[in-house]
Parts: sequence; structure tokens; C-alpha cells
Amino acid sequence: MKYRFKLYKGDEIKFIGHLDLLVAFQRVLKRAGMPIAYSQGFNPHQLVAFASPLSLGLTSTAEYGDFTLKEDLDAEFVMEKMNEHMPDGLKITSLVKLADGVKNTMSSLERAEYELYFDNTVTPEDIKANLENFMERKEILTMKKTKKGINETDIRPDIFWAKDISTEDAAAVEIQVSSGSIRNLKGETFAEAFCNHMGKEYNKYAIKCVRTEMLMKKGEDEFVPLNYGVER
Amino acid sequence: MYNALPDEILLQVEKPARYVGREVNMVKKNPSDVDIRFAFCFPDVYEVGMSHLGLQILYFFLNRREDTYCERVFAPWVDMEAKMREANIPLFALESQQPIKNFDFMGFTLQYEMSYTNVLNMLDLAGIPMFRKDRTEEDPLIICGGSCAYNGEPLADFVDIFYLGEGEVLYDDMLELYKQFKKEGKTKQEYLEALLKFDGLYMPQFYDVEYNEDGTIKSFEPNHPDAKRLIKKVVVTDMDSVFFPEKQLVPLIEVVHDRVTLELFRGCIRGCRFCQAGFIYRPVREKKACTVLENARKLMETSGHEEISLTSLSTSDFTEFEELACGLLDEFKDQQVSLSLPSLRIDNFSLDLMKKVQEVRKSSLTFAAEAGTQRLRNVINKNISEDDILNGCKLAFDGGWEKVKLYFMLGLPTETEEDLKGIAHLSEKIVEKYFEIPKDQRPRPVTVNASASCFVPKPFTPFQWDAQDTYEDFGRKALIVKDEIKRRQVRFTYHNTMMSSMEGVLARGDRRQSALLYRVWELGCRFDGWSDLFDFKKWQQAFEDTGLSIEFYANRERSYDEILPWDHISVGVNKSFLINEREKALAAETTPNCRQKCSGCGAASFGGGVCHEVQI
Repeated sequence: MKYRFKLYKGDEIKFIGHLDLLVAFQRVLKRAGMPIAYSQGFNPHQLVAFASPLSLGLTSTAEYGDFTLKEDLDAEFVMEKMNEHMPDGLKITSLVKLADGVKNTMSSLERAEYELYFDNTVTPEDIKANLENFMERKEILTMKKTKKGINETDIRPDIFWAKDISTEDAAAVEIQVSSGSIRNLKGETFAEAFCNHMGKEYNKYAIKCVRTEMLMKKGEDEFVPLNYGVER
Repeated sequence: MYNALPDEILLQVEKPARYVGREVNMVKKNPSDVDIRFAFCFPDVYEVGMSHLGLQILYFFLNRREDTYCERVFAPWVDMEAKMREANIPLFALESQQPIKNFDFMGFTLQYEMSYTNVLNMLDLAGIPMFRKDRTEEDPLIICGGSCAYNGEPLADFVDIFYLGEGEVLYDDMLELYKQFKKEGKTKQEYLEALLKFDGLYMPQFYDVEYNEDGTIKSFEPNHPDAKRLIKKVVVTDMDSVFFPEKQLVPLIEVVHDRVTLELFRGCIRGCRFCQAGFIYRPVREKKACTVLENARKLMETSGHEEISLTSLSTSDFTEFEELACGLLDEFKDQQVSLSLPSLRIDNFSLDLMKKVQEVRKSSLTFAAEAGTQRLRNVINKNISEDDILNGCKLAFDGGWEKVKLYFMLGLPTETEEDLKGIAHLSEKIVEKYFEIPKDQRPRPVTVNASASCFVPKPFTPFQWDAQDTYEDFGRKALIVKDEIKRRQVRFTYHNTMMSSMEGVLARGDRRQSALLYRVWELGCRFDGWSDLFDFKKWQQAFEDTGLSIEFYANRERSYDEILPWDHISVGVNKSFLINEREKALAAETTPNCRQKCSGCGAASFGGGVCHEVQI
């Protein structure tokens, strides 16, 4: 039976990178005593896959992925058991049995949403004054690391919307951007480009970035969370 | 706020997870609820320390006490050290993320000599005066255990207590006494004096050393009425009833060994003459296979690991080895658990078992041949023959392996050029063994990795009196081996010769080396066991600045009547036995192992283990 999970990754565990997180998650399945399904072949591995890596230091309220069990167990039961064995800062917030024929999270993923909290060198007024004209730009060129080296790329087509979510004393924006294997924009890259636009120094170690949703396409132009309408 | 360090710092260093704790099975206590705070310090980087079984055992052993909170501290990697010094952040414990300056104990495990500068550096980072004489009632007591504690003299000026033996024996009594003294408002000095009644604890301050003009020790005398003349190590006698953790800390990042580690026995029956562990951990004391299986069940359930490692000094010598290994494989067959078997002897491993092990995941095979000729193997009492080695490799090749790793040593006592060339010849014979397999049955090319370490004479071994080769000698000898290798299937590597030389200095060092260690730390040395950070020039300068010589400590042969810096410590093996072993070594005579015949080394005095097994 295939399951799709939605996972919360908090401050306690944000310094664990993607591969280590995968291993930690596999150990949770083991400790929870789940009948884990393994791949065939010379070096069998647990059938667990995450939708997309999250950069070291980021937290998330919506990491998605799939895993397979050899038995058909109640999703609520599995979720409860697994949560009993989670390391601090990790929690499955939703688990569903996957309907047949659903594409895996990695290939379904098209967009992600982030919340960016700036350090105090950026004020709520700065956001107010700049976000709209930033989004009105036709082209936003940034230096982006790709497999072939560092390239100048236009990231404007990857930004779908950006909202000012600043509070009285803290500057913040929420964004929806491309995510996945075809086009991908990291929340941090947006933050850097936006800081450049505002003429502010991009303080990459001080800006807090939270992934809040991961979306796939439904029908022509609708985007829904990765666990929407996939239940068996 | 979860961390002692701000995110800005953690994001700028390599592997920040080293510094934040919160691993699976970490013990959480409220520090204000306990009487004793104990910092278990591993003087190396997180991934190394977290792979150490002793840490796992002692951590849960100490934390089973409600009155004690044992927390972990590792040496921050150089990038983090720089950040901590810059931001003035003192060394902290992973569990509470609190500074350790006001803990009651700082317990270091000394696993290798080249970690000594990290001990000093960690004290400094913690804000604790390095030298014992500069510390006050407010500072923790510094206690050191582990194999290097048996001759901890180079650290004598820094350390309060050296613990000689196994932690399960004394810590409860020590902590009870500490709690009582603390409640009664007594001083730490009074506490240390009270500890003098225990065996297994050596406190350098209660002994005075005088030297002869030639630099050797003239006298080593207690200066306190309660200080023992001979301090005997303490050992567990019943391995089945001794505490073993039901949980293991499971790191959230990859460490050196990500696996469940099971202990089979302590000590070793073999008595290889170069091997310190083979003498200081005597006598052999085994667990029953059923105890180990029970340990395995609990640890697998609570860890989620996919690998089990059976550890001991010579795993295939475990009496119920095959039963245990098969039992484990059967039990965890459906869970894709693989078995790792370090320290197999080439003369007694079974191909059936190896094949079974291989069904899950294929591992590499490593054998310790130690020397290139039979004569030299007899000298070191490594009782395996060339036939054993070749047959063992043949078995492995038949079983589908095509990679074999062999361990050798350079600079063993009595070694000749022929012995060195023997390393090359033996490695090539193994390659030839592979070619005996019909061509169509060997799908991949064969590789023999011959790896040589440089021999370091260690205290409490029959070679404790021997001169070590100079690093120049080691380099020259390595080239002799290299030049002799003709076959391209043999790969030869050897250990850092200068580092081995420093190891040789510290292993048999005396307390005058405290000045050397302080100086070398001052010059900026840390992580000296890491060849990319080891800086020999700085060590040379420290020798010059302190007036000590490498030659005196490393390259000098001692006479049997010289007072050695560790003579006041007894590991249970008599000096007369060691002398006899050395004489036999020089005559290339071997000694049978403990199960074949008792050689009367003295370890029977502990009243347990192989010495008292009924011979069938």
C-alpha cells in the first residue's frame, strides 16, 4: 500500500539536510514497526521518496512524500505510530492512502509557497514601498547556480504572486514560485533578488524562510496541495 | 531558542547538526533536578565520537541515575572553534545547550594519543583553567578514561583523576561519595583524597617524580599516606549481568558508523605482542550468545538501524560466534539488516557464514596479517601462517569477493629487509591465488589493498622497552615495500610517518610532556590525528622550546630495570610475564592463546573470565 504524507519540519531539526532527513524518516518507519516494502535489486532500499529537498536551515509546514508498506494499514494508525517515534521537530500532519495511478510527489510538484521573514535591516515600510514595483518588473535577472555553473537567469516567470504579510514591527512576504524538476526557484533566491531590488544588503544567514505549501496542477490552471484529491 | 549558538553561526559552519543535539533517544532531564552534572567529553569531532561504543554505554549507564545528568561534548571542528572564539561563546553540552564551566565533572575518553591537544583545547574553550593548579572549587573535576589513560602521564598537569578500567565498576560509588561530600560542604581536594582508597583511580598530584641526570626516572613516590604504591585497574567479572543500554543514541546526520553495536566480549585470548588492547583488557570475559541476542532485539527496536556490528578485539574468537551470527541473520532477515564483522581472523572465519552475511549487503573483507614473513609473525605472536592467509583469501575469492584488504606494520622489533619485502611478496601471492580460479569464473579484476601502519611501542606490552623507528626509517622502509611490488593489482598505502612518531613519543611519555602539550597547543595544534591538520613543524618547535627530545621518548631502548612512567599502575599482567614474552619474541618463539593453554600472565587475579573457565 502506498501512502502520501505531509510533514512538518521545525526549528529543532532544521539543520538536518535532505539526505539525512530521508534516512531519519526511514528509521522512524523501522522504529514504529511498520511492514516496510523494499526495492528489488542488489542493494535493497526502503521505498520512501520526498517531493523536493529543503535547504539546510529552512523550516517547513508542508513537506510531502510517499512511502510503501507491504500491508494495507489504517492511515490514521500509521500516522499515530510514526509520530510516536519522530525526532523532535518532525511531525506528520496528514497521511492518506494513495489512489492507484497517482504520479509521485517529485514529478507532480510544480509550485511551492514560502514565507520570508527579513532581519531588521528591512522594515515593513520597505516592503510596502517596493514589493509592488518589484512584481511589476518584466525581467528579474539573478545569478543562479545550475548544474553547468553560475548563470544569469530571469526569475520573473517563476514568481506567480507575492504578498506583503508584514506585521507592525517585522517585515515579511509570502510568495508562490516554481518548484520541481522543470523549473525551480528557491525562496532564498527570491529574497536575495528582492533585497537587491530594494537596495538592501541580502543578509542570507539572518533571513528566516519557511516553506508553507507544495502544489501540483489540477485541470487547466488550478494548483492544489500535493495531497489534494489523491486519496484512495 | 533551542541552541547555544545563534542560527547565523550555525548556518556558516560545516555540518551544523554536530552542535545542536536532540538526536533520537537523547536523554532529557531538567538540570536543576539533578545533584551531579557530568560532561562526557570526546576529544574529537562529533561523527567520530558518536560512533564510539564506550560513549553509548557510559551515557546511559550514568543517566540511569536520577541524581546525575550526563551530557555530551565533542571537540568543535576548526570552523566552529573560530566562530565560538570570535563570538565569545563557551563550550557547551549538547543536551542542555548550557556551558559546562560549572559542571561537576568533565570526563574525557582518551582513545588515541593524537587527541590530547583537543583535550586542552576543549578545557580552554570551556573557560576552565587548563592546569590543575590554577583551578578552583568552582571548576569541574577532570577525569580521563579509555586506553590511553593507562599511561596518562603526559596529561598529568591537567587532569585530576585517571580512571583505570571499566566504567561500570566504580562510577556509582564515586558519584555517591561526591554527592555526600557536596552536601556536607567538603572541598574537592577532600573528595580526591577520599578517592585514594579505591583501586582503579590514579591521581597524579599524590605522587612525586624525581629524575636522573640522563632524564630517566629516579623515583616515583606517593606523597600522601593513603596513596597506593601500585594501583590496579578495575574490571567487570560477569558480562551477562553488567549494565548494557537498551537504547542507543541515533544521530540525525551520517556518522562514521551508523549501526547497532553489540559487544561480544572484553579482552582477547591471542596475546599479539604489539597490541596494547590485548594486554590491558585482560582477561577475556564473554557474554552469552543469548545475552547478545537480547541486546540486539532491544537496540534494533529502539534505533531503526539497518546494520548490526559485532565488536570485540577478535570477533571470530567468540565461543558461540557462528550460532550468534546465524541467529542474528535469521532473526532480522525480513528487515534487511546487514551484519558487519570487524576483526575477523583469517584462520577461523567460515565461508558459509560470509555467504549468508553477503545475502543482505556485500561488505569488503579485511584481514590483519601484520607482518610479511612467518619469522616476524612469530616474533609478534601473530599465530597465523602463510597458508592460513592464502587459504582464507582463496575462500573469500571462491565466495565471490575480489577485494581484500590487508593490514601490516612497519618497524616491528627485529624486522629485516626480507620481512619488508615479504609484505610485497605475500600480497602478490594472494593475487596469484585469485588467478587460480578459472578465468570464466572471475568476472571482476582482483584488488589487494595492502595498508601499513608504523609500529608504535605501547606501555604494558612486551615491546614497551623497545626503540621505535624514526620517521625517516619508516619512510625508507615504506619505499622498500613499494619498490618490491611488481603487480599492478596490489595497492600499497602507509600511515603518516611523522604522526606515528609523535604517537610514539606520547604513548610512553612522562609528566614532563605536559609542558610540551601546552606549548604545542599554544602554537595552534588541534585535531593532530587528522593528517590534513597535523603540523609536524609545530611539534618540532614545541620540542625545541621545551627542551624535550623525540629520540629520548620514541627511539630509545629501555633496560628492564628502568623505572617506567606507568610502573605504578597494574593492568593485572605481571612485568615478569612481559619480560618473558619479550625474550621469546626476540627468539621468534610463540605463546599459545589463553584457551589453548594458560601462560600465567597474572590476569587470573581478577577472578573472572577465561582464566577460570573449565577446560574441556
